[in-house]
Amino acid sequence: MNRLTSLLLGRLLQAGLVAWGVGTLTFLLTRALPGDMAYRIAAGRYGYENVDRDAAEAVARELSLGGSPLGDYLYWLGDLARLDLGHSLVSGESVWSEVRHQLGHSLGLALVAVLLALLIGPPLGMLAGLRRDGWLDRANLLGAVLLRSLPSFVIGLLLIMVFSVGLGWFPAAGHGGAAHVWLPALALALGLAAVSTRVARNAMAGVARSPFYAFARTKGLSSWIAFRRHGLRNAGVPVVAYLGVQLVYLIEGVVVVESLFAWPGIGHALVHALVARDVPMVQGTALAMGLLFVALNTLVDLTCLLIDPRRRQA
Amino acid sequence: MIATLSLLPSRWRALPHARRWGAGLLLALLAVAWLLPLAMPLDPARQDLMNILAAPSLAEPLGTDHLGRSQLARMAAAIRLSTGMALVSVLSAALPGVLLGVLAGWRGGWTDRALGLVADCVLALPGLLLVLLLAAIAPGQFWALYVGIALVLWVEYFRVVRATTRSLAASPQLQASRLLGFGHGYLLRRHLWPALAPAVSTLAAFGAANAILAIAALGFVSIGLEPPTAELGLMMTELLPYYREAPWIILQPIAVLFLLVLGCQLLAGREPQ
Amino acid sequence: MFVRWLRATALTVGLIAAPSLQAAAADDRLDVVAPWEINSLDPSRAGHVFLRMQVAETLVDTDHEGRLVPGLAERWDTSADGRRWRFTLRDGVRFHDGSPLTAEAAVKALRRAAARPGMLSQAPIEAIEADGPAVVLRLSRPYALLPALLAHSSTQVLAPAAFDDDGDTVAVIGTGPYAVTSLQTPQRLTVERFDDYWGEPASIEQASYLAAPRGETRALMAQSGDADIVFTLDPASRLRLARQPNLTLATTPLPRTVTVKLNAAHPALADTSTRRALSLAVNRQGIARGVMRTPEAAANQLFPPALADWHRHEPATPARDLAAARALLDDQGWTLGDDGIRTRDGRRLALTLTTFADRPELPIIATALQDQWRELGVEVSVNVGNASEIPAGHHDGSLEMGLMARNYGLVPDPLATLREDFGPEGGDWGAMNWSDPRLTALLESLTETPPGEARRDQAHAAAELLDAALPVIPVAWYQQTAAVNARLDGFSLDPLERSYRLTELSWSET
Repeated sequence: MNRLTSLLLGRLLQAGLVAWGVGTLTFLLTRALPGDMAYRIAAGRYGYENVDRDAAEAVARELSLGGSPLGDYLYWLGDLARLDLGHSLVSGESVWSEVRHQLGHSLGLALVAVLLALLIGPPLGMLAGLRRDGWLDRANLLGAVLLRSLPSFVIGLLLIMVFSVGLGWFPAAGHGGAAHVWLPALALALGLAAVSTRVARNAMAGVARSPFYAFARTKGLSSWIAFRRHGLRNAGVPVVAYLGVQLVYLIEGVVVVESLFAWPGIGHALVHALVARDVPMVQGTALAMGLLFVALNTLVDLTCLLIDPRRRQA
Repeated sequence: MIATLSLLPSRWRALPHARRWGAGLLLALLAVAWLLPLAMPLDPARQDLMNILAAPSLAEPLGTDHLGRSQLARMAAAIRLSTGMALVSVLSAALPGVLLGVLAGWRGGWTDRALGLVADCVLALPGLLLVLLLAAIAPGQFWALYVGIALVLWVEYFRVVRATTRSLAASPQLQASRLLGFGHGYLLRRHLWPALAPAVSTLAAFGAANAILAIAALGFVSIGLEPPTAELGLMMTELLPYYREAPWIILQPIAVLFLLVLGCQLLAGREPQ
Repeated sequence: MFVRWLRATALTVGLIAAPSLQAAAADDRLDVVAPWEINSLDPSRAGHVFLRMQVAETLVDTDHEGRLVPGLAERWDTSADGRRWRFTLRDGVRFHDGSPLTAEAAVKALRRAAARPGMLSQAPIEAIEADGPAVVLRLSRPYALLPALLAHSSTQVLAPAAFDDDGDTVAVIGTGPYAVTSLQTPQRLTVERFDDYWGEPASIEQASYLAAPRGETRALMAQSGDADIVFTLDPASRLRLARQPNLTLATTPLPRTVTVKLNAAHPALADTSTRRALSLAVNRQGIARGVMRTPEAAANQLFPPALADWHRHEPATPARDLAAARALLDDQGWTLGDDGIRTRDGRRLALTLTTFADRPELPIIATALQDQWRELGVEVSVNVGNASEIPAGHHDGSLEMGLMARNYGLVPDPLATLREDFGPEGGDWGAMNWSDPRLTALLESLTETPPGEARRDQAHAAAELLDAALPVIPVAWYQQTAAVNARLDGFSLDPLERSYRLTELSWSET
């Protein structure tokens, strides 16, 4: 079994376990959380203004809530295995069609965010790593710490104030045009870049101190050529590998950023579904987020294989 | 105890410059938060609706918030609560993360593969689900939220520690020590921990900030609000609407978090090996 | 290779960016931004959005004064015994799919509405039938509020093709001056002018609706010009937007009151004087100024000025009087403990106030009340949860106090809501374990009293009764605010929140 197949098989197993985990967790959640489920769903459906006993009773009748826990659990897992997620309890539309719509939006946002983060973070970090403890390194540390201590909604608001209200370059919020993606993506990207710039800096500093790098300089290569031939690729592996872990922040950050920018993505949908106890939607969105994470990580693994030839014959 | 105290000055001098700064920063923050209430009467809940969003003055050095509460009192209370809770969160993430990581890296084989798979799956589950589940077990308790966040964060420690342990377990020094018959405890203390400490402490330094920011994000979607408690993350959410009218008040919890992260970073800041 | 890859990334980003920069330019579409999401296509769940955007219409409409006027029904009359209502439909009305409005289509829509939770299920309806060009509703007993209920968004009339065989809504095909062009639940809706509209046609051809839940986002969208009309401004942004040269601010009082619902069966809250003490300790001026940021929001009685017949001109609730409030509790035997909290027979005066964050000001008001009642010696813990916890707690008896915003203008006549809230058994969003036969009788006789002096006297009597017995404590009144771009002419706000009145808008000439 070569490296590639074992990698893909491992990820497939992970995807299956994630699906089971989502099913079990949502089940536990809806059983453990306080509050009457029928009332919650009714509030989600008819709005907080119109939720009352009649509405809750109508919901309970329609959905025949209150079966035996174990039976419900097995029933859910069965549906999940057949990838039949049913219909949203709030909107009445099929979960798949809603998730597809939201996932498209989130995927676009995540992709642009990752690309922007890669453009901002690693180049700055590598420059800082080349001149350790120089002014750029210090400024880089301060900037990274500052970005890591700003909540993403504050970053988002600042971006709207500067680029939309101030300069008028991008629309403030909403969706529908290609221009709408930039500010939410940048809000996510800055948080991502803050960490990846430090990873890149540490990796580059390590490479710059290594004997092979010193040798490259000694044998007369200019600093730029030494960097291109020996620095980039060696420092690139940990940066890309770390991206896999970072994607967690992306998936989590999406919840806040989507709410702030009125972006119809999966994070926003998950929060709404959780609040309204819309179980099929919770499952659908959580499953989509989990599988998205697995898929992106598979991509990261493949990229690492591509950059680092040593890994191919492990 | 006395021995440790007498050791402190010499240890302090032995610390590199940056780490001394970091420790000083953290100590100063904590000292302000703990000593201030002893020096003057501070009530973080007392309101004055006729004096909201006041600018800093002699009477109120940090101004007042949207309900006319003293920001000085609230910041002091928030630092006390949030640093404690962040510590709980970091510990409850780091302990299982490090232990399982060592276990997986050391034993290898099926243990390693199984634990690795569990960690990957937890990472793929939306953290919001996990946090909510824990919050539901102890409703209205802050520690439950923070421990819930740890449920998400332990994986990071696990991954880093596992990788380091794995490469170390195969190293010649360790093989030699093992052949000489040293016990697990000795190997852990003598070989593993020195190699793990820098990475773990860097993660922990960011982990504290991550926990506080996660609380802010939860507050943003109206989870975990517990008036009138002052908590750094929730203050950021609560003060957000006044960002233009009184920017200095939302800047206060952010600045404290910045100093906290910077302090932790400097204190933990060893070069990676 | 890495460099090449970086270069490719930069190029991709640039390619996506280039065309989008132009798309941000202003266009001639009217962009409306509001906090309410479009949960569904179903009229009973999200009908309000389609009514406000003037996609769908109801049999009965309201004018600018809030009076009932003909909508899709040209006229209506009732039989001598008040049990048979006949609504004659307007002639020549077409749905957006081209099909004509028939009595059968209207009957189908109304039967659906009556079978689902919503305002219409309150009416004692026995049958809904088509009779020539008219819809006939037969009731089991006289019910004068029926036309008001037929102005509610859940009774909007959609084309038969809007529903599938199971009765689920598959498309929003209305009769309004605007037709749906695209709909992405839960956030976005675009509409265009319907040229076959029966009434006055709209001047603006295209419009869009965006649900943006955060107040800060909406305010910034108004400021940047991304939105032409922004509804429900957060108090902190309002002052800033008022100073913007490209915006005008519109304000109107709403028939909506922030109230504290009290469980009158709770041992501490059963006595009227305890409830009065709590009411006396509320700093309404402070909440109006400090939280709502409008001094006029201080609720000196339950009914706001927007409810002309019910609002009394003299202040009915006295200003904050902490000394009087303390004296009332002293008389009740609640003695002040060392920790500042009162006790009686070894039991602490500790209560839980349940509220929800769908309206962002509610948790802040709850925090303000917590401190104001602490000064009185009452320990209040605030539980910020889901809106449904209030009706759920009402029915299982676990609710102690609930802070909520009650809309008395759900249908044009507040009586419909009041009968739900303050009936003999109380109401999910009204009294809990409290009732007064005098009030029940007044509300009953009001349903048969025609508008005029007599009706106002009865309404005032009912309002006085509520303000004296305090089954709910009024705290603040709401104002609807909107920021409107200067390029629009003819904007006005509907206090009943039934319509955005898009057809009255036009682009200004300048």
